[in-house]
Formats: sequence, structure tokens, C-alpha cells
Amino acid sequence: MEDDVKGEGNRRNFLIKLTSVVGGAGVAAACVPFVASMNPTSDVLAKAETEVDLSNIPPGGVHTVAWEGQPVFVLHRTPEDIAAAQASNGVIDPEPDAKRVIKPEWLVVIGVCTHMGCVPTKEGPGWTCHCHGSQYDDSGRVVRGPAPKNLAVPPYHFETANKIIIGKA
Amino acid sequence: MSTLLKIMLLGCLSISAFAEEAKLENIQVATDKPALARGAEDWMNNCHTCHTMKYVKYSDLLSLGIDKAKVDGWRGEASVDTPLIAQMSDADAMATFARVPPDLSLMAQARDGGPNYMYSYLIGYYLKPDGTTGNHIFPETKMPDPLGISSVAGAAQRTEMQNTAKSITSFLTWAADPHTTDRTRLGYYVIGYLIVLSGLLYVVKKQIWSRLK
Amino acid sequence: MSGPIINWIDKRFPLTSFVKHELTDYPTPRNLSYWWNFGFLAGIVLVLQVATGIFLAMHYKADSTLAFDSIQHIMREVNYGWLLRYMHATGASAFFFVIFVHMARTLYYGSFRAPRELLWWTGQGLLLMLMATAFMGYLLPWGQMSFWGATVITNLFKVTPFIGENVVIWLRGDYSVGDDTLTRFFSLHYLFPFLIIGAVIVHLVALHTVKSSNPSGIDLKDKDNIPFHPYFTAKDLYGLGIFLIVYSVFVFFMPNSLIEPANNIPANPMVTPSHIVPEWYFLPFYAILRSVPNMFGGVVAMALSVMMFAFMPFLDRSRIPGGARYRPIYRIQFYLFLLDMLVLGYVGYKPPTNPSIVVVGQVATLCYFASFFVVPFVSKIEERWLIKRGLPAGIMELMEREKRDLENRTQEHRRRKGDLV
Repeated sequence: MEDDVKGEGNRRNFLIKLTSVVGGAGVAAACVPFVASMNPTSDVLAKAETEVDLSNIPPGGVHTVAWEGQPVFVLHRTPEDIAAAQASNGVIDPEPDAKRVIKPEWLVVIGVCTHMGCVPTKEGPGWTCHCHGSQYDDSGRVVRGPAPKNLAVPPYHFETANKIIIGKA
Repeated sequence: MSTLLKIMLLGCLSISAFAEEAKLENIQVATDKPALARGAEDWMNNCHTCHTMKYVKYSDLLSLGIDKAKVDGWRGEASVDTPLIAQMSDADAMATFARVPPDLSLMAQARDGGPNYMYSYLIGYYLKPDGTTGNHIFPETKMPDPLGISSVAGAAQRTEMQNTAKSITSFLTWAADPHTTDRTRLGYYVIGYLIVLSGLLYVVKKQIWSRLK
Repeated sequence: MSGPIINWIDKRFPLTSFVKHELTDYPTPRNLSYWWNFGFLAGIVLVLQVATGIFLAMHYKADSTLAFDSIQHIMREVNYGWLLRYMHATGASAFFFVIFVHMARTLYYGSFRAPRELLWWTGQGLLLMLMATAFMGYLLPWGQMSFWGATVITNLFKVTPFIGENVVIWLRGDYSVGDDTLTRFFSLHYLFPFLIIGAVIVHLVALHTVKSSNPSGIDLKDKDNIPFHPYFTAKDLYGLGIFLIVYSVFVFFMPNSLIEPANNIPANPMVTPSHIVPEWYFLPFYAILRSVPNMFGGVVAMALSVMMFAFMPFLDRSRIPGGARYRPIYRIQFYLFLLDMLVLGYVGYKPPTNPSIVVVGQVATLCYFASFFVVPFVSKIEERWLIKRGLPAGIMELMEREKRDLENRTQEHRRRKGDLV
């Protein structure tokens, strides 16, 4: 049979190759809807914005709100907190406090430890993660490992002086 | 012999079956966004008081290109992700009509005849001699003539109402299956591709089989 | 097919020899027509149904309060959910269409005859499993037709002697079709396809033991067989292309033509739709159920109508090889049977309130069973008539040879048994 193929020249080989490529592309394209169906659905994506009313968070108080299914800490910092936060640049992942806030009184960070994804607890100044002992300061910067990075700052903006929208910068 | 009898019987029956069916107007529903946006507006004005569409959200109306201010006006305090819930409560509806008006999300697919049924029903109201309204398509209906087509005199006004009915029907047809446009567009590509592939496979098959004597 | 990896595997698992024996070198009659494509197509549809089903199950919720909503969630919010669902719904119809053609081909060409009885019976088992799977899947959207279809069909088991009522309640897990019925149907609807895959493997082993039949109805000599690959892989793939075009027309342009409008209304146990019809592929059997005025008789007749096919190897007693090709009377019988199926399908679709429809249904039901019961007599009479009229010399010769072969086989069988003893 193989001899037959050679005997009939290259045209057939080319045709079979072309058909295989076209057919293979079709099979690959047919996989797209299946893979895509596992991505977040449109109603999940629609929940990508969370409104937070700041007026009932007292100075020193912290509120935890859900954004994209994750906890976001909204901390109302006192002048002392701000001063302490601005005094250092953090240890493990240095970053000035000014780059992490829009208004110094309000710290908004995603409450997911950058080590293994546990939710840190507010303890004294800053947060402690009880899974593996990482510590963060009142700017959400990691001050003790094993966490490698500072708590992430989600995109957000001030809709009014007392209302922020998390999810859109 | 019995087969012959059966065929004859069948012929007679299918003729009578056709005669029984209520005559529905055939319409071509619109699928372009401006027409659907108009339909949504007509629906909000004429149907939303009593009817819910639990699978359609205010954000879906925005996706039709309706002005954000208008949608904000309709939704009031509700978030854009809430479905279009009837303004009238179920209890009030029960008190008034003795039944809760049905959800309209899938109505365009839930009746034999689909959009044609819906359109014919909307314009099927007429004035009875006793002053009440009746409907040619669905005589038992509890819904009062929503467009007021039964009491219209002029032809121009009637045409206008038919247009409203058509536009509402188009909107409901879209709402029942919002991906129709995507689906048919993808369908043309898929079938085009399959025709090319089948052509290639046919040639391959012919060439391979030509090896046999 | 060489290379160190293949060598490594071949020392531990008969990969190359298996592929060679069952696929590349598998001897296939060269005269197979396109009617022989449908077995392959059924396999492809099975794969499509399993694939779309698994992905749909990631979003579907088998709970009577959530099921209908979750279908709409799939249709509206899941990425390409509408495509998966329409493929799955259309695929069910495609599956039955392909299987019906596959069966009709078997009946027409007499492929069920010796030595292919077991092949035919495994196919019969597959048909029953397919019907069960389709029926249970139809409940899952939890629409009005789903609900009332499941109610009617589970009620069929009321005819079980003595414990009928209990059987129905056991099947449903409730006094009426309810949440527990839905969850168990979902569980079994997910399980059955894998049983079907297992049964398909048995079907294929049986096929590869007795090899394919062919349009001539005569088992071909070795020189008339060609390797499956590349000849039939090419032919099957071309057929698949054509099939997919038709399938896509339904999926993309008329997906709702196969979904009853009433199934777009959520299930309501308090109101039965004015006209319940099963899916088109159950219509002939449904018509038979309704045609028998007695409930027990109706259920038995319906069960029997599906099972009748299994008796065909016994009923067809003609020694003339093949099916309809050399047998004009059998051919007429076959077409009349198809016509009767269509009539029954039409009757099943129409509401039973029309008395003339009922009569037509009863006549067609009688014709349905009669067309099986007359086969032994007609096939014998036909054989005598054809021999008297004179068959082509080749055919007579073949009949003689087949007879000899059969005798040799039985003798050898006896001898071997004797050896063992």
C-alpha cells in the first residue's frame, strides 16, 4: 500500500496533509466552546464591582467586604497609623505608603495572604496570618515572612467622598 | 389493502387538522439592536406593570444600547443586575385577575407558533356586543386588551398599534433566546467550514479508493 | 509504527498488533455502501453527547427548585452554554436518527441473520439503554413536558403484577414525580452513557468476530475484503462531514424545532398540558401504547414492539442469502413496515381525542405486529417460490455452500466437544 502512495506522486500526499490540517484545525476550534464554558459566567463577571459606604467606618475601624468572592479590608486609619505607615517602607517587599493609598485615611487591600491564600486577622497594628505566621503592617506591607509580597491593592476609586467602588480604578 | 385505507384516511385527517388550527398572522421579527431597544421600551411601557421577566436583567437592556439614564429611571433603587420584576405584586394581581400574570422571559418559545402566536394574540382583541373585549387567539384570556387595539377606529392608529405589537414581539423573541444572532452568525462559519472539509474528504476518499482496481 | 517508545509498549501491551488487527488491517468487504456509515456515526454522536453532557453537568443543578433556572443560566450566562445545550438536545435526536437508519439497514440487508445474532442482540440492548438514557435526560430541564412525560412513563410500571403501585413509588422515590426523582434520574443519566460505552465495546468485539455483512448478503472471499484503513476511515470521515453539516443546520438554525414549546414552561404538578407528546423518536411506540384499550395490554404491547426486533433471526427462515436484495417479497415487507412506522409516528403525535386517529392507530399497531408474525411463513413461501422460479446459478451454489459450511461447522463443533469429553 505504501508503494501505491509513492507511485501516485505527491499530489495525494499533499491533499491528505491539507485535509488533515483543515480537519485538525476544526477539532481544535471545536474545543474552544468547551474550554470557554469553564471560564467565569457573565453573571459572575457582573459582580466584579463592589460599592462600599465609608461613612459608618469609625477611625481605627476596619470593614471586610467581598469583591470577586474575596475579602477586601477597608481600614480607616488614624493620624498615628498614617504617621507609622509613612515612617517605614516595609521590609520584605519595600514600597512607600503613598503608592498604596489614594487618600491616606483609607487603606483598601485584598485580605488574602500572598503566601498560601489564607485570610489574615487584624491584630494590634497590622494583620497576622495564622496559617503560617506572616505579619503585615497598617499599610498592608509584609513585615515578617514567609509571605513574599505585600497585600495587593485592588483597583478602586472614590465615587463620592464617602463611597468607593472596588473593581474599577 | 389496509395500508391503502390508512393512507386515504391519513390524507383526510391531515386536511381537517389544518382547518382546525387558529389562523395566526405570520410576522418577521426584528433582530437589530435599535428595533429591540424600541421593543424593550414598548414592553416596559405596556407590559411591565403586571408581567415579570425573571431571566432578563436591567443590564441586558443596557446591552441593547438603551440610554443609561432611561434604564436608571426604570430600575430606581434596584441594582442593574436585578431582573425585570413586575411592578404589581402577586397578591394584587390575584385580587384583580384571579391569577398571577405569567413570566414572559420564555413566552416567545412557550406557545405553538412562537412569535406569530404572540403577535396574533396581541392584536387579536375585539369588542364584543356587550362592551367587553374578547380575543380571537386565546378566548379564555384574563388579560385586558393591553394596547387598546379593540377600541381603535382609524386604520393609521391600528397600523401603529400593530407596529407596537410587532416590536414587543421582537423584544420577547430576543429575550427568549438572547444569543440567536451570535448563534446564526457562528452557524454560517461552521457550515461553511464543514462544506469545505467535506469537499476535501470527498476528494481524499475518491483518490484513496482509486487505488483499488 | 516503530520507534523505541512503541517497542517499549509493545513488549508490555499488544498495541501495534491490536491496532493492526482491529483497525489498519481489519478486513472489510469492499462493496459496503454508505448505509454502512451509520454505525461509525452512532459512535461519534455518543462521544459528542458524553462530551457536551459532562460540560453541561458542570453548570446544571439537579434540584427541582433550581433545575429550570440552571438551564436558563446555561443558555444565557455560561460562555457558549447555549451551544453546548443545543448540541446536546439536538444530539439526542441525531442519535436516534442514526440508530434507526443503522437498524433499518440491518433489517433490509438481513445483517441480523446467522452468524450475526449476538451482534444484533447486543445492538438491541444498546437501543434499550439509549432509550432509557434519553428518557431520563428529558426530565432534567424540568419543564412541563419533562415532568408529565416522566409521570406517564413511570406510571407504566403500575402494570407490574401485585406490587405495581409500590414499584412506581420506588422508581420515583415519592408519590409523584418530585425532587428525588429528578436527582436519581440525573445520577443515572450520567451513569448510563458509560454503560453504553461498555456495551458498544461488546458490540464491536462481536462485530470483529463475525465481520461486517455486506450488501450482497453473501460472505465475501478474502480477495474481496480490503483493509479498513485507509479505505473505510476515509469513507467514514467523508460521511461524518456530511452528517455534521445536517447536524449543524439543526444546532445553529433550528434548534428549537426539536424542543416542544410546553417544555419552556416550568414543571407544574397541578396542571397537565393539554397535549402531551413524547420526543419524535418515541412516537411510534407511544402510539402502540395508546392503541391498546387495556392498560396492561398497552404496556406489554409497547415493550414487545421494541423487543420484536430481537426475534428477527428466528423469524426469518429463508435460506436465500442476504436480505432484500434477492427477495422481492421481503423487500416489499420492509417498505410496508417503514410506512407503518411513519403512520404510527403520526398517530402518536396527534391527540387521542380524535376517534378516527384511534382507529388508524389500532390498525397500524396490528400491522406492526403482523409484519413480524408473518415473516416465518412468508419467508418460507418466498424461498420456495424463488427456487421454483429459478435463482441465479451463483446464488444457488452459494446456498448449497452455506448449507455445507453450516453442516461442517456443526460437525466440527460436535467433534471438538467430543474431544473435550
